[in-house]
Amino acid sequence: MTEARVTSRDMHTDFDIEDVSLAENFEEVLDDLVAHCPVAHSTVGKGYHVINKHADVRKAGQDWRTFSSADGWLLNPPDQSIPILPEDLDPPYHDTWRRVLNPFFAPGNVAKVEELAHDCARRLLDGFADKGECEFVADFAAHLPGLVLFNSIVPVPEADLPQLFQDIDTYSFGPLDDRVPAFVRVYGYLDAFLKRRSEEDPRGDVIDAIVAGVDKDGEPSPWEDKVHTLLDVVFGGLATTTHAMSGAIYHFATHPEIRRDLIANPDLVANAVEETVRLYPPVVAPARTVRNDVEIGGVQLKAGDRVALNYAAASRDPAACADPAEFDIRRTDIVQSAFGVGVHRCLGAHLARLELRVTIEEFLARIPDFELKPGSAPTYESAQLRTMKNLHLVWTPST
Amino acid sequence: MKVTVDGSLCTGHGRCYSLAPDVFEPDDEGYSMQRDVPIPVPPGQEELTSRAVHACPEGAITATES
Repeated sequence: MTEARVTSRDMHTDFDIEDVSLAENFEEVLDDLVAHCPVAHSTVGKGYHVINKHADVRKAGQDWRTFSSADGWLLNPPDQSIPILPEDLDPPYHDTWRRVLNPFFAPGNVAKVEELAHDCARRLLDGFADKGECEFVADFAAHLPGLVLFNSIVPVPEADLPQLFQDIDTYSFGPLDDRVPAFVRVYGYLDAFLKRRSEEDPRGDVIDAIVAGVDKDGEPSPWEDKVHTLLDVVFGGLATTTHAMSGAIYHFATHPEIRRDLIANPDLVANAVEETVRLYPPVVAPARTVRNDVEIGGVQLKAGDRVALNYAAASRDPAACADPAEFDIRRTDIVQSAFGVGVHRCLGAHLARLELRVTIEEFLARIPDFELKPGSAPTYESAQLRTMKNLHLVWTPST
Repeated sequence: MKVTVDGSLCTGHGRCYSLAPDVFEPDDEGYSMQRDVPIPVPPGQEELTSRAVHACPEGAITATES
């Protein structure tokens, strides 16, 4: 063993995506995998491999026939897990759903949300800008994605929002024992909401598109598939975007030269968004099932093997992006895998980018100078998804 | 300079039309409007276009000199 071990576990042969050492040494573990271990092995649960290099992740992500999503995105799903669609589907059924969902999340439609996103961000900032401190996750990042989504592309009646927000918050960030009951409530709400909308006149929104459904092998898609599609649309963009927002603001809190550069050069915010998702990726590594024996990264995989596509590692591969650990808003060689590779490209990527850009613009406009609260450091919850749990900031309020 | 977006690989990340909007444009679903046909790159757009080629997460864009 010549390389320094960054964790007590050998992440090459005994990988565990839920290991606390990965949560706490995220960048070091990923960089070690990219440099020394193209395909890691895990014995957790039924066992799985982890594909780490940019080129291999791209190859596997694009080859859905060999690397199938039909068994779900979780590496070791619980016995009665509920699928989210179209995430947990392969073409052609996957593509028929995407074709009806894509237009609602395409740049043209997302651009209509711009003003709303700015308003929501300003209102959240109003709540704490004068206090000189905040816990950015709870005070801002946990709210903005839902406020924007449920008041625009996925319109939910305003009266229903407080309970829905609370249940989603509990499911995403709450005590572990409370999460399943909260999920059951959200599921019940979305099922009833969809049913109610199916009895009303169409409005031409994404809910109508989901209610109308798509063709599945010559038959109309079953009701539960519609609910599972709405689940994906709702949950896909909430806690994930929360994490990326928190990552951006954490980075600017600890790198004053970057936030000064951004304030002086607002044209660079779009680049900062790409660097944020590249280095603070909310989706670490979704699962696939190998359908045919295949060799990748020098490792022979067999039909039936489970693999994880390590998007987070792929975005830090020096073969794709020079000096990958450097958050450089002026780099011209950004390429990131944060929104996935292949047919499962994040449906909400364009909305997420808009929300991140608005977050950066509005936060820096209101609070240009801030730092981590002395003695504090963010903590993470990290597995196949990664979430910053808290981010305490302080600044001198303007009078 | 011309570029071609491989329609079998484009999944609508939108990096190309964000970086080089004078060369690429989105369709109603977010894919590159022009796929599998050479797109002429206007003079002065070569650098942004090269960045877009590199930035495509799918590696779906190829550049040709002619």
